[in-house]
Amino acid sequence: MTSAEKIVDGRGLGKIFGAQTALAPLDLTIATGERVALAGPSGSGKSTLLYILAGLIQPDRGELFLDSQAVSQLKPGRQLSEAVGLIQQQFDLVPQLPVIQNVLAGRLGHWGLLRSLASLFSARERDLAVSALSRLGIADKIDQRTSRLSGGEQQRVAIARLMVQSPKIILADEPVSSLDPAQAEEILKLLTGLADDTGGVMVASLHAPDLILQHFTRVIGLRQGILQFDIPARELTPSVLEALYDLDRDAQI
Amino acid sequence: MIWTGTPKSKGPARLLETRRLLSLVLIGALVWSLASVDWGGGIVHTGGGDAIKGFALALFPPELSPEFLKVALAASWQTVVHAVAGITLAIVIGLPLGIAASGSLGTPGRSSTALAVAVRFILAFMRSIHELVWAVLFVTAFGLSSLAVVLAIAIPYAGILGRIYSELLNDVPQGPLVALRSSGASPVRVLFYGRIPMVLTDILGYSFYRFECALRAAAIMSFVGIRGLGFEIQLSLNDLRFDEVWTLLFFLVGLVLLVDYWSSRVRRSLQS
Repeated sequence: MTSAEKIVDGRGLGKIFGAQTALAPLDLTIATGERVALAGPSGSGKSTLLYILAGLIQPDRGELFLDSQAVSQLKPGRQLSEAVGLIQQQFDLVPQLPVIQNVLAGRLGHWGLLRSLASLFSARERDLAVSALSRLGIADKIDQRTSRLSGGEQQRVAIARLMVQSPKIILADEPVSSLDPAQAEEILKLLTGLADDTGGVMVASLHAPDLILQHFTRVIGLRQGILQFDIPARELTPSVLEALYDLDRDAQI
Repeated sequence: MIWTGTPKSKGPARLLETRRLLSLVLIGALVWSLASVDWGGGIVHTGGGDAIKGFALALFPPELSPEFLKVALAASWQTVVHAVAGITLAIVIGLPLGIAASGSLGTPGRSSTALAVAVRFILAFMRSIHELVWAVLFVTAFGLSSLAVVLAIAIPYAGILGRIYSELLNDVPQGPLVALRSSGASPVRVLFYGRIPMVLTDILGYSFYRFECALRAAAIMSFVGIRGLGFEIQLSLNDLRFDEVWTLLFFLVGLVLLVDYWSSRVRRSLQS
């Protein structure tokens, strides 16, 4: 794989919280077009890895290159937000703001401070938000208070924010764990569609094997912060997953 | 939650023990103070009963002559002006100080900066001195002027508001803030797009409540010789005109109720 194809290139990434190893040093390279699923029981280091990739926490060890640039060299704000975007389990919108402000928050890395503040009173680049929301079928909600939307609509708002941000690397922390199967299916379709549009990669943590098989090309298993396997999604067998989630295994060791 | 770092390890069992001990001490203090009260007639002094009766009877009717209502209205206006100017200045000073004290403009995850600690100290200093004490100081400096009252209210109230604002700004759900950061928002943008919108109704509600308190504070500025509702109440009390006192008290209660009504209106309009 040439360095141009390696959108994510992590070397020996590790993180320790206090006395606890959240993530044992691991190498991770991801090429353009890959859809990577992170699997593992809670506390396995999935979120830590995602937050490191998002540039939200600094690894204690190792180096991370996004699109051939060291993350530590990327300017927070514009450069980092062009490289990576994160969507979380709770979708984490600001409920008191109107929908449009939550969507345009995806532009905050690009906008200057004055523009950002002025936009709170009179929205800038409104057409950007309109087109994102139209694609998701909720353009009519644009001026509503976000807390008034249903759960499903709020997920779309969070995706619209990601669309407006349009990062090369889309990270999703348990995006479907609070959803019913139909919603989960739809959200993953939207996220992979978005990754197709930006021509980048997607990394998401999730547990459901059928969804992993259907939407992902590669699956990484983590347990207690240690890499267990890194295989093509089609090689994921029930026994591999069972071993990953086996609660008794630690007791035997 | 990976943001909290290592949890603070206070033994929960020990904490419970301390709490029980503290409760016992407080209950003991209460019983002791009740026991030391002389219940046998020492509470109301001689002639006090008649005074209370006279005061109660003056309610039927209170003084409602047009001349006196005019006096009460003018005094209320004076008090309202002092309170509005005082609380406005308090908010203008308290909000930036509260933001600075919250440390929300620093690097996320880092503990308080030296600036935040310094501002917290200043806020504590401002509010630990009562508004009447500030009033004595400012009357000495500026004379019996409105400026003295306004500053005397604004400074301790800015200290109180700043502290509450900083706590509100810190106690917001972290998820939306993380999401904003991952969209490339700087701490200032996170403040305006996340923290402030999430606590705006609380900030408004508390500021209105403090406005009520400022009305009371402005009224009792008569203690240092400033005119207003309290001043008139004092004059009427000196003349033993309890019927006038009642009228003035009704004006004061009316003002507080008006602020309460206004506050609920504003908050409701924000929530829709």
